[in-house]
Amino acid sequence: MDRPKLARSRDDRVIAGVCAGLAEHLGLPVMPVRIGMLGLVLLGGFGGLLYLWLWGTVPRAGETEGIVPLRRALTQPSGTHENTGVDAASAPGAAPAAHRPPAGAAEAAVPVAPALPVVPEEAAGAPPDAPHDSGSEAPRRRWPIAELLLGACLLITGLGLVLERLGVLLQLELLLPALAVLVGVGLTWWQIAERDRPDRNQLPRVLGALALVAVGVLMFFVTSREPSVWTVIAAAIAVLAGVALAIAPWVLRINRELIAERAARAREAERAHIAAHLHDSVLQTLALIQQRSEPGSEIARIARGQERELREWLFRGADGGSAPAREAVDAELRVHAQALEADYAVRFEIVAVGVGSGLLAPDPIVAAAREAMLNAARHAGGDVTVYLEATRDRIAIDVTDRGPGLDPDALPEGRMGVRESILGRMERAGGRATIVPGPGGSGTSVRLALPLDAGEDTEEDGR
Amino acid sequence: MSEGSMEPGGAPIRVVIVDDHQIFRTGLRAELGDELEVVGEAADVDEAVECISASAPDVVLLDVHLPGGSGGGGAEVLQRVAQRVQAESRSDPPHLAPAHPGQVSAVHGTRFLALSVSDAADDVVSVIRAGARGYLTKAASGAEVTAAVVRVHGGDAVFSPRLAGFVLDAFGTGLGETAARDDELDRLSAREQEVMRMIARGYAYKEVAAELFLSIKTVETHVSNVLRKLQLSNRHELTAWALQRRLL
Repeated sequence: MDRPKLARSRDDRVIAGVCAGLAEHLGLPVMPVRIGMLGLVLLGGFGGLLYLWLWGTVPRAGETEGIVPLRRALTQPSGTHENTGVDAASAPGAAPAAHRPPAGAAEAAVPVAPALPVVPEEAAGAPPDAPHDSGSEAPRRRWPIAELLLGACLLITGLGLVLERLGVLLQLELLLPALAVLVGVGLTWWQIAERDRPDRNQLPRVLGALALVAVGVLMFFVTSREPSVWTVIAAAIAVLAGVALAIAPWVLRINRELIAERAARAREAERAHIAAHLHDSVLQTLALIQQRSEPGSEIARIARGQERELREWLFRGADGGSAPAREAVDAELRVHAQALEADYAVRFEIVAVGVGSGLLAPDPIVAAAREAMLNAARHAGGDVTVYLEATRDRIAIDVTDRGPGLDPDALPEGRMGVRESILGRMERAGGRATIVPGPGGSGTSVRLALPLDAGEDTEEDGR
Repeated sequence: MSEGSMEPGGAPIRVVIVDDHQIFRTGLRAELGDELEVVGEAADVDEAVECISASAPDVVLLDVHLPGGSGGGGAEVLQRVAQRVQAESRSDPPHLAPAHPGQVSAVHGTRFLALSVSDAADDVVSVIRAGARGYLTKAASGAEVTAAVVRVHGGDAVFSPRLAGFVLDAFGTGLGETAARDDELDRLSAREQEVMRMIARGYAYKEVAAELFLSIKTVETHVSNVLRKLQLSNRHELTAWALQRRLL
């Protein structure tokens, strides 16, 4: 039964679109719902409270999932119709079995907050951080305990108000305990049924709070007729406790977020400090070592590798985020260069133009470039420049070395690397590979070019 | 870039090294060729401004990241030297005649070559826009630095492959933008793009010239033009960097 989620309507609204949303959710025409709501308002203003509460808790249509935990219970695709409290009591029995798999899925999606050790409650307590996918939520089917409990509470409250208005003497001694028992039972059921639910601490708390608030309000109305010090005090305490209970999770979460944010900021500052220090001292020293040592010597190579590693770390730190996506073509070539520098006496300089933020290149040209870099490292060594230029319709990678040179016409048959992995591969991909003499007539420049079809290729136009 | 033979071998070029690391200054000093004479060293912004004003060197090897001053690093040195020179030559208060990038060399005769361990685009572009005539990474060998100093002293610009890459990127080569006229500041001409591409591939000027069938002088002119554009252009990418660094 895929019923539209409870959401405040954007277009069809008188005040906040609550009634229209409710009507859509319940599958009723709008008018009766509005009239019903109005009727509830006339009944001692209870409809007004309900309306305000729904306004506050129900997200607007199209909005991202709200922050209010209750929203989850209210927007469940319910498997049953509106029922009476009797069914509510029998319903939760089926809940644990029906509920287990989706809860597991929800927990699997939980570890989002990066640095802190995340307890499950935390992720559920902070929905803005946890992008819980509506996809996994859709198939989740459970008994609408929240709706039922809430309905029962509202029903009883409304009934009480109606009776009270009609002048029927309310038997508070009976009604209040009954309500308390109902809520208590519901909460207990809830706790047992939802044990493995990540946010099990939230919903019962809020429900209890609302029930208590309702009780308090009811008692206010009651006491207006039979004033007694104790009922007034009890009502006040109930309202206060209810509000406190309702607010507690938010306060806790805000506090937690504050602590997390402060910790993150402290970490970032610490990291920046370390980075600055490393930048000033260690990088300089590594540069000096490379400068003073024989070009291509072991020491220069190690220093070069260390410098690259450190630089990558510093760069990541400056962004405060993760390393650039590995698939980005320039990042991939850089990683490859790093690996080659560790194995051969070679120094790669990689210059990328037009790449923007993470261009994904077709596989053949990347593979061919890697092969060309390997060739340069193996046969030429020394300084090798990799020049990558991406335009809208074309990507070109040049690998230039200053080695002994390579005559493409005089390639021995055995040189599969050049013939197959570079030339053949580029031809098959519809590109072009040429091998020309390097700078000053010595060395080799392998020039790879591949046209990009705007339609199929993943061209991420940064600007 | 290992050639410097066409430069006159007469009086040594007077050089000041500005870097906050004693060990690097010492190392560099030992590595520099005979054509250069180190006349001063400085470790922070204020020291550098004093030292440059006092010794009036031909070329300053300037670290991009420097302590002291108001935190502007190498770019701040360039600006303050330029302001001082202007104030001296015109006896105008510096705030009435704000420093214009590129005027450092024109007035004082001192040219700046930036040295950095940083690859970050904004570091490089900030010193270039503040008036440096070239940029090298600190991994460059002593011979490379010497050749670059000679070239800068001769009035040319020194572009490392990486800087050439930045330039191509910043001037929208990837988007296929080409200047119709040579004096257009916001885009590179087709020839300038070609030259930059060759430099980005690691070719020395001489090799670029051979490859493109140009004279070395023409290549140098193209490179100088590109440097001028880099300093004066109002292209969005460049002004964004400059604004970040409060260079405008």
